[in-house]
Amino acid sequence: MNVERQRSASRNRNHHWYENGQSAFAGELLELFHGIDALFLSWAGECDAAEYAFPTFLPAASLAKLDYFRSFPHLVTFPVTLDADEDNLSRFAEGEPMDQSGAVNLARLAPVCDVLTPAACYHFYPLFKGDVLDGPRYVTTRATCFRREAEYVPLERQWSFSMREIVCLGTAAEVTAFLDGYRRRISAFFDEIGLGIEWKEATDPFFNAPKNPKYLMQKLDPVKTEMVFQDRLAIGSINFHRNYFGEAFEITRAKEATFSGCVAFGIERWIHAWLTQFGHDAKHWPKLP
Amino acid sequence: MKAETDIRGALREWVLKTSTKITAGELKDDMPIIEERIITSLQIMDLILFLEQLTGRSIDVAQLRPGVFRSIDAIYKNFFEDGSDER
Repeated sequence: MNVERQRSASRNRNHHWYENGQSAFAGELLELFHGIDALFLSWAGECDAAEYAFPTFLPAASLAKLDYFRSFPHLVTFPVTLDADEDNLSRFAEGEPMDQSGAVNLARLAPVCDVLTPAACYHFYPLFKGDVLDGPRYVTTRATCFRREAEYVPLERQWSFSMREIVCLGTAAEVTAFLDGYRRRISAFFDEIGLGIEWKEATDPFFNAPKNPKYLMQKLDPVKTEMVFQDRLAIGSINFHRNYFGEAFEITRAKEATFSGCVAFGIERWIHAWLTQFGHDAKHWPKLP
Repeated sequence: MKAETDIRGALREWVLKTSTKITAGELKDDMPIIEERIITSLQIMDLILFLEQLTGRSIDVAQLRPGVFRSIDAIYKNFFEDGSDER
């Protein structure tokens, strides 16, 4: 099945697939990539969301605060460097840097204190730590995100991929109004262009899910709704975090820990859905902003 | 089976003992204790153990449906009322 999907995606000469789970785009597909993101940005503009550009790494301490390492150890990717000790570096430089399998023969590593961004909106909450909001705050960003997976499929499941998010921090009522509004907005767009999407309740991909209380909590109190293409591929999701991030990072609104929610889009998956539904010929694609 | 008032009293007492986010005067039986994060994911397994003790029956976690722990009203209805299916 995956081999068939890989062949289908690689038919397009403007897409290059790397076996380590990454994609390169050129020509019309790169234009489609930018066009889809421009669509998301135009939606973000409807709530006057302020745009941010973030670095690739997040401090590991921020994710530890969210219990990320216990919940998603199978997904996390760390940037590593060699211990700067001169003997250590000499041993590495003078030894055999690579083994037969293509793996680097690492010398002693420096302490790992960072993580490659696993989800775009994680950058906002540490940035807003301690803020007292006097109204709802709307923000947006696009980030290259990294999630280690057991196997990769072009455009569908990648080690690194592009995620656009629109985020609201505010009271519970402000956040639910934001999420409901975007669900209606996005549904209307799917209807308008004829993209077959179903909304489905979902849970995050927790490690050892049956034994994880956070997974159980998401099952008991669903907070994630996915935009599912062809009954199997989530191309985006709407997530209500309740006051989880507000509590963790002491962000307050109306004298209480702020609530938050996000609308997230996976751009490569949108490209996959677009090509599957409308074909590889750009002449047949719906118009984008 | 204990009387309904005793069971509701025991549930309220457990919530107040477990959560630091609410006082006896604020806690109502229809209050959404999960949605408002009065009870967090770290406390949910304790709630299940507590309900197992109170009902004298084991709870199959895999079979739990959304909303069963939404409020004290929902917990009473789902686990203690005649004909409740423990889910």
